[in-house]
Amino acid sequence: MIEVTGLTVRFGGVTSIDDLSLVFEQGTCGLIGPNGAGKTTFLNVLSGFVRPAGGVVRAFGVDLLSMTHFRRARWGVRRTFQTEQAIEELSVFDNVAVVHEHSKLGSATRKKDVLDAISFVGLDVAPGAKIRTLGAGQRRLVEVARAVVGRPRLVLLDEPAAGLPDEETSHLGEVIRRLPEHTGALTILVDHDMSLVSACCQTTAVLDFGKLIASGPTAAVLRNDDVIRAYLGVA
Amino acid sequence: MPPWSDFEPFIVSGLALGGVYALSGVGLVVLYRATGVLYLAFGAVGAMGALIAWSVQQAGAPGWVGWVTCVVFAAVVTLGYGLLFGPPLAGRDPLVKAVATLGLTLVLYGVMDLLWTTSGGEARSITLPTDNGGFTVASIQVDWTQVIGLAAGVVITVATGAFLRYTKLGTAMRAMANDREITATLGVPVRKVEAAAWLGCGVLAGVAGILLADLVALDATTLTFLVVSSLAAVLIARLRSIAVTFAAAIVIGVVHDLITPITSLTNYRDMTPFVLAAIALLVVSRRQVISRSREEA
Amino acid sequence: MRIRAAVIVALLLFVLFGIPQLFSLYYVDSMTEVAVYSIVALGLGVLVGRVGLVSLGQVAVLAIGAWAAARLLFATTQPYPVVLIEAGLITMVAGMVIGLPALRLRGLYLALITLMLAGAITVVLDTINFPNGGRGFLGYNGSAVTPPPIRLPSIAANDKAYFQYSVVVAIVMFLLVFVHTRTRPGRAWAAIRQSEPTALATGINVTLYKLWALALASFITGVAGGLLAGASHYLYSIDFPAQNSIILLAVVLMGGAYSMWGAVVAALLYQFLPALLQNWGVSADWLTILFGLGVVQVLTTAPAGLADQVPRDLARLGRLLRRRLARARPMGPMGPVGPAAAGGDPQ
Repeated sequence: MIEVTGLTVRFGGVTSIDDLSLVFEQGTCGLIGPNGAGKTTFLNVLSGFVRPAGGVVRAFGVDLLSMTHFRRARWGVRRTFQTEQAIEELSVFDNVAVVHEHSKLGSATRKKDVLDAISFVGLDVAPGAKIRTLGAGQRRLVEVARAVVGRPRLVLLDEPAAGLPDEETSHLGEVIRRLPEHTGALTILVDHDMSLVSACCQTTAVLDFGKLIASGPTAAVLRNDDVIRAYLGVA
Repeated sequence: MPPWSDFEPFIVSGLALGGVYALSGVGLVVLYRATGVLYLAFGAVGAMGALIAWSVQQAGAPGWVGWVTCVVFAAVVTLGYGLLFGPPLAGRDPLVKAVATLGLTLVLYGVMDLLWTTSGGEARSITLPTDNGGFTVASIQVDWTQVIGLAAGVVITVATGAFLRYTKLGTAMRAMANDREITATLGVPVRKVEAAAWLGCGVLAGVAGILLADLVALDATTLTFLVVSSLAAVLIARLRSIAVTFAAAIVIGVVHDLITPITSLTNYRDMTPFVLAAIALLVVSRRQVISRSREEA
Repeated sequence: MRIRAAVIVALLLFVLFGIPQLFSLYYVDSMTEVAVYSIVALGLGVLVGRVGLVSLGQVAVLAIGAWAAARLLFATTQPYPVVLIEAGLITMVAGMVIGLPALRLRGLYLALITLMLAGAITVVLDTINFPNGGRGFLGYNGSAVTPPPIRLPSIAANDKAYFQYSVVVAIVMFLLVFVHTRTRPGRAWAAIRQSEPTALATGINVTLYKLWALALASFITGVAGGLLAGASHYLYSIDFPAQNSIILLAVVLMGGAYSMWGAVVAALLYQFLPALLQNWGVSADWLTILFGLGVVQVLTTAPAGLADQVPRDLARLGRLLRRRLARARPMGPMGPVGPAAAGGDPQ
């Protein structure tokens, strides 16, 4: 469980996140909202790239904000980025292995864990394949494999399906749905694709201008008037 | 510790030098803010201009022809570089753009050594007519060239500040410092503004070249690397404030020269710009914010 | 892969045994310096190509190594390999102490502070000079009319043997870097090069690994400085001018900051070409101009970052050569027979 209390983030004169209080229960949670709502900023706070002006985040009983970024990653915070960031220079195997290397897990199970992660995401390439030989969808899967290898505790997915064709999006959706059960991690999915969010997330929260405007079971949230207004504007 | 009277002439020379560093620094900052390019070839371009001026004078032409040639040369080379290599490198990291100007520095340096070899020959020098006249202030000798050095620094700083704030071109330059793409969509003729910035910087490089050749030495290596003192000032100002650049440049010039009569430190005085810049950078970076990732929310 | 390894071994054997036989002493001495500078270029390549740290002051680092080695060679009777390692360690510590606070800076600021620091080091060296057998901590005797030369290793006391000695040391340094790139630090550096947030999100302590790269680069450059001390016999501060750091960066960019071959190419450009030109009576200034143009060319044609995997020009040259070779090879039904002619493996 992730408890966010009174989170505020300011960049210069702009308040990106405004006194946000939110609880993420287990499973996969969606986080949606119009552009500029603060979704990626929120993920950046969780990853440790942005220091909030105020607020507390407790993840599984631990004060997340007190750890530096790379230590959070070692503790179990994993993420994918809006622009896909598979490591160009390394092979598929090494891409995933490097996450394992820097986690608290030992080298004894490394090879098995890495191969498990690669097959879990359904990536059907030789582990030694170079990233530059892969297509966009496959690279995304490498990124997701990096997020699930070993023992992640919190998986943050930032628009993972952006720019992917339908079949790859639905495959990705499948993977995301099985994620919590396979890894035991809490997953937060940020995306604009409502069908993906509906398919994967039991609960969803909605941000607009840095404020929480709705949260609860996904189907109900997506029908909520305030949410529709936020996306489409007032008539 | 030498008596105060020993320091006095160095205050003057330090102020003069600092003034020229300020002039150079302002040129570097404005160009950086308008184009994102830190023009590391500033010193080399001024050096070659000064050497050309020297050759022109050796050929018998009157002094002022030489200085004008120097400034024109510096302006043309700088503008040329900006027009040729500005656009292809426009979207790149400032580090890449700065290293590219190092390429220009090497080219100029090689040409200078080819055309004006330093081996086996007497030292060259440039003198300005203002070297001869002067006056005395509180028993310190001041010559007009030194006055020009300091005055040029002050005038350029003030004028540039006013230019950036009150003229259309200057405002456009400030806008571009923030975001080139957005400024372009606002209908600002981005290429023209950049060209103006390059040209202005080139002119200042030429002026600085002549003054430093007179105040310091007419030597390719010395003049090329004197830009480091201006760089130090510009770094202390974090490539932003013209006023801080001016202040830092003056401090660097004065401190450097004031150390000269102190026998225990004098050999190390050339470290002044380096030490001051390093301290300033490290103090400032204590408050460094984690690098923001490229993605916007 | 086997063929590549065999080619490399054959090449190294030729270098070690063929060059001293075939080349005149003038060129053997020049090749000794190529070996030295290939290590320096490799160090700069690790910084620029693997971690994205541009250093504008590697020649100053080299000078520190040379200074330390010279001091130890005069003051002690330790065997050469020990002195080289000590020089490397001293340089490594100096590099880390100076570099650690600087690591808080990024990109352009970091490059500029290396310029500032190198400038400061150069001024200090100009004043304290290089050891020449004198007494005291600095080991400099200002009034010595004929100072003693820096001693050479007992097993390599002549120029040709010293050349082979230097090549062996260079091979060891290259292997050291190679092992780094294939193991954990290499992978961490690859992540950092991808993007720092990515590396941090992977759990990598970016500052630590940058420091490691800095330590490695400083160590090998210090060792190279020690080799240079022996090769030069007498060291003077004018041997380490500030502009050389810029020329070094230029040739490393042109040779390719990422690959190890690039370091060798860079050293050949930096040291062998000038020696060649000098022998033919052509001024080395033409090379300075060429390198300046080369820098601008590499940067305008490289699409990503400061260190492309293989600079376009070299890649083009490589493909051209391979196509020529392919045409000379026997043709099978599907085209040229033999190792793949398509796109080289840049590593």
